[in-house]
Amino acid sequence: MRIAPPRGAAGLAAAIAALACLGPLVAPMDPLGQDLMRVMEPPGARHWLGTDHVGRDVLSRVLAGAPYSLGLALLSVGMSASTGTLLGLVAANSGAAGRAVVMRLADLVLAFPGLLLALLLSGLFGGGVLPMLAGLHLAMWPLYARMADATATSTLREGHVEAARLAGFPEWIILLRHVLPRVLRTLAPLAILGTGQAIMSIAALGFLGLGLRPPTPEWGAMISDLLPFLAEGVVQVAAPCAAIFATVLALSLAGRSLAGSSMPPRVR
Amino acid sequence: MLRALAHRLGQAVATAIALATLCFAAIHALPGNLALQVAAARVGDERVTQEAADRVRREEGLDAPLALQYGRWMAGIARGELGRSLVSGRPVAEELAHHARFTIQLGAAGWLLSYVLALPLGLVAGFRPGGWLDRAAGGLAVALASLPSFLVGIGLVTVFALGLRILPPAGFRTGAHMVLPALTLALSLAAFSIPVVRDAVVEARAAFFLTYARMKGLGAAAAFLHHGARNAAIPVVTFAALQFTLVIDGFVVIETLFNYPGLGDLLVKSLVARDVPVIMGAGLLVGLAFALVNLAADLLCLWLDPRRRREAEP
Repeated sequence: MRIAPPRGAAGLAAAIAALACLGPLVAPMDPLGQDLMRVMEPPGARHWLGTDHVGRDVLSRVLAGAPYSLGLALLSVGMSASTGTLLGLVAANSGAAGRAVVMRLADLVLAFPGLLLALLLSGLFGGGVLPMLAGLHLAMWPLYARMADATATSTLREGHVEAARLAGFPEWIILLRHVLPRVLRTLAPLAILGTGQAIMSIAALGFLGLGLRPPTPEWGAMISDLLPFLAEGVVQVAAPCAAIFATVLALSLAGRSLAGSSMPPRVR
Repeated sequence: MLRALAHRLGQAVATAIALATLCFAAIHALPGNLALQVAAARVGDERVTQEAADRVRREEGLDAPLALQYGRWMAGIARGELGRSLVSGRPVAEELAHHARFTIQLGAAGWLLSYVLALPLGLVAGFRPGGWLDRAAGGLAVALASLPSFLVGIGLVTVFALGLRILPPAGFRTGAHMVLPALTLALSLAAFSIPVVRDAVVEARAAFFLTYARMKGLGAAAAFLHHGARNAAIPVVTFAALQFTLVIDGFVVIETLFNYPGLGDLLVKSLVARDVPVIMGAGLLVGLAFALVNLAADLLCLWLDPRRRREAEP
């Protein structure tokens, strides 16, 4: 019996991935091209979502921003989930001492509430892509490591693992064939929800001026750029806001439905 | 109780050491001349000279060997010396105390307001699981959880300050200036506390002792009040402490958005200016507060739940 991923969630994920890849390609205008004769124009036939304070097309910027906001979120979650899976498997496999080391490290990171660690790293090391990714990665891996450790530990105690061991399969084959798939299935909904969180974190860092910097069309940085002109152009500010909201909402609905449907498969 | 205390204390100390090392590493790994940057921050970019930078280097002890500086740095922190702001020259403790007051006001107001929203909504939702109120509250929570707090804030500013013109958009002079930031924080927090309250109520109402209370003739409300409420409170209290992490994300962003002079605003401004002593102090204060709030929640749960007390004692 195979567990098919829920269709709605898969569709949403595909749509979001497509947006991240195609966004910049379908952008009607140059997202960085300024036109100082047309600043803060209201939405019209030429600029569907209006222009910003230096005359750039807002629609193009929102579309071109997708790979930054989404791509970096996916990248940071992928990195964190990989590190977490690896360390979780190590912890589950290396006895009390190994587990203690990994879990104390995780505790240490979790003692920094919320965005603080990413904020500090990103800010102290001067903003930009790398410090931000490093900060998000550092802040997010413990969640995945704990989950991977718990799942791997319980799987390693199960009958089919025992049977494989008795049949003489080496430990790494057991980890690869029996433990890893189970761990990944547990982590998948977490990672989808985590991507939504990462998008919000990246946007928050951009908004604070500590993440990606203007003129990069990252959604959070765009919002903080446009905020002083809120009274003149609500639509222009609302556009990147709506992009963030729609993406995060889609991801959290997909994550929830996947979490609900992927009950651990019982004995086949 | 002692174990909870020791655990949280260890957490606080580990946070302090990690934070101090991180800050120290950041100062010395950064590209560029720190002394020059500090001097530039003090007198302005155009008027900075090499002499000014040299003076800063001597004053701040930036010319000593690295190991010595690290030892000095850690020893200073162990003694509770936070130093002076590189930018304003005022003692860090003074700066922190000044800004913390505003953040505590905002945090307390937002947190209380979030429960003014979440408790009734969670209760009515939990009393009729699957009903239309439950589904509406659930939808509201999912939508709010998908909105970063600055988006909530921008939305509120657009409606109440720019549209209706009944509240000031930013600043901090009067009580009215608190309303929008506190409401923003409250809505961001309520996104997570509504489902927690709701689930706690559903679970407490499903317990056998509540069925028994109904069987002996108590009404639904009385039975819940006498037998369910305290049980339902346990996950809510634990969560209220966990929520502190969200308060931190919230206040950093919300204070920047509303130009509200709290700790978050101070932290962001010092990060931009690379004012490491202040960054360090603010980070320490936040980490310590986090450990304390968690400790308070641990103790409160022990008090609420006698079963756990018996487990913890022997």
